[in-house]
Amino acid sequence: MPAKAKKKAAKAAKSAAPKEERTRLWLMYPPKQITQPIIWQIAQKFKVVTNVRQASVTGEIGIVCLELSGLRPEVKAAIKWLVSLGISVEPVEINVVES
Amino acid sequence: MANEKSFMKALKCRECGHEYPLTATHVCEFDFGPLEVVYDYEAIRGSLTRASIESRPQTMWRYRELLPVAGEPTVGTQVGFTPLVKADRLAKRLGIRELWIKNDAVNYPTLSFKDRVVSVALSRAVELGFTTVACASTGNLANSVAANAASAGLKAYVFIPADLEQGKVVNSLVYGANVIGIKGHYDEVNRLCAEIAGKYGWAFVNVNMRPYYAEGSKSLGFEVQEQLGWRIPQHTVIPMASGSLLTKIHKSYQEFSKLGLVPNTKWKVHGAQATGCNPISAAQKAGLDFFKPVKPNTIAKSLAIGTPADGFYSLRVMKDTGGHCDDVTDDEIREGIRLLADCEGIFAETAGGVTVGVAKKLIASGKIPAEDSAVLCITGNGLKTLDAVANHVGQTREIRPSLREFEGLLEAEGAACKA
Repeated sequence: MPAKAKKKAAKAAKSAAPKEERTRLWLMYPPKQITQPIIWQIAQKFKVVTNVRQASVTGEIGIVCLELSGLRPEVKAAIKWLVSLGISVEPVEINVVES
Repeated sequence: MANEKSFMKALKCRECGHEYPLTATHVCEFDFGPLEVVYDYEAIRGSLTRASIESRPQTMWRYRELLPVAGEPTVGTQVGFTPLVKADRLAKRLGIRELWIKNDAVNYPTLSFKDRVVSVALSRAVELGFTTVACASTGNLANSVAANAASAGLKAYVFIPADLEQGKVVNSLVYGANVIGIKGHYDEVNRLCAEIAGKYGWAFVNVNMRPYYAEGSKSLGFEVQEQLGWRIPQHTVIPMASGSLLTKIHKSYQEFSKLGLVPNTKWKVHGAQATGCNPISAAQKAGLDFFKPVKPNTIAKSLAIGTPADGFYSLRVMKDTGGHCDDVTDDEIREGIRLLADCEGIFAETAGGVTVGVAKKLIASGKIPAEDSAVLCITGNGLKTLDAVANHVGQTREIRPSLREFEGLLEAEGAACKA
């Protein structure tokens, strides 16, 4: 392959590769999940870095403000897994979609 | 007015108090708390008086010193100063001494209170050098961003759920906005919009412009106080979606009081929600200082936010002022719409039905005493939610072009009259 084509292919591969991203979320746990070590589990199951910024835990709800970093597919998978547990996953802005 | 003078000092985290420059940013880097505009009240005291306000055009911008723009507004300069109507007939029906309706159903240009917040956000966006603006909305906000952006020559992107009713889409498309329908559940649409807002260098009115945008709601409270003859109402009933409007009306009372523009009297702010989406109301009634997210199921679509961003802060304001909160069913919402229309000739959207319905409950229960005075905030026009009441307001009666048939119809109703 000519050098020019090689360079172009490398560039294309690079742009198609998953990108590192950082997302800021509010997690709201239903009562049955409050005592579970969810944040630890995320880091075990997915290649993501978790960074808790705020948290509030009562008997009725657990609220965690979390920064999640990693390759985009990993971050997306982690969010999907959280949702499957019944955890409400909101962007840090919470209700972006208004009336 | 000191024309090109800014009275803003900084953006400040509502949680930890960290301060930030007055740019297009909205969350604290430390704890991700929301940012809010802080002002130089000493400087404002020297510029804003009752006389200076009264000398200015009757728009929301007559309180410019307390709104977050550095210079003169450039977008939505005609917005606001909607009527405050003394609602004697409705007062009698609800059993209260004095009742007022703040009627933002006739706000300019898109018939909802959103024109207030949008004109502030877009004026500030222009000051910060943006040429493209955006929002994510299911109704009033989309219409307002599209219209106000068009009038200012700004490019607009409006993100909506793909299954939104055609009528609501037309109200944005007509202004030439780029309307993008997103397929998927509300939560997915919400997260994607936050991601888009973070990725593109646009002024996303309810994301990176949020600290400025939200301040626009204060103008409704400023107007109420001036229109009441420079006083704070004893009770204000406010519909809640995110809860932001309630917290900002409260802030407007605090600011006028602090600046000596109104006497420092006690006030209570009360929140109104639909039973089909009542996270704040449920929390308040249970005595909690946090809410639990809910899945909305109500005809009051403009209030259907199951995870309200300002839920915590609105609960705190109601607690601090001694206010209450309640919610009403879909039937009670329709009844509230009809009651307001029947008594005062004001056709409100479903959120207005919520406000009237909750006011009725609070008065009946004595939480708003019958001998007191109250203001109800009507935030949008009934023409926008016709479907919600279309089959619940009676039907036309048809006759042939015959006087005999008409008189027969009157006679049948027992209401015959001779000219």
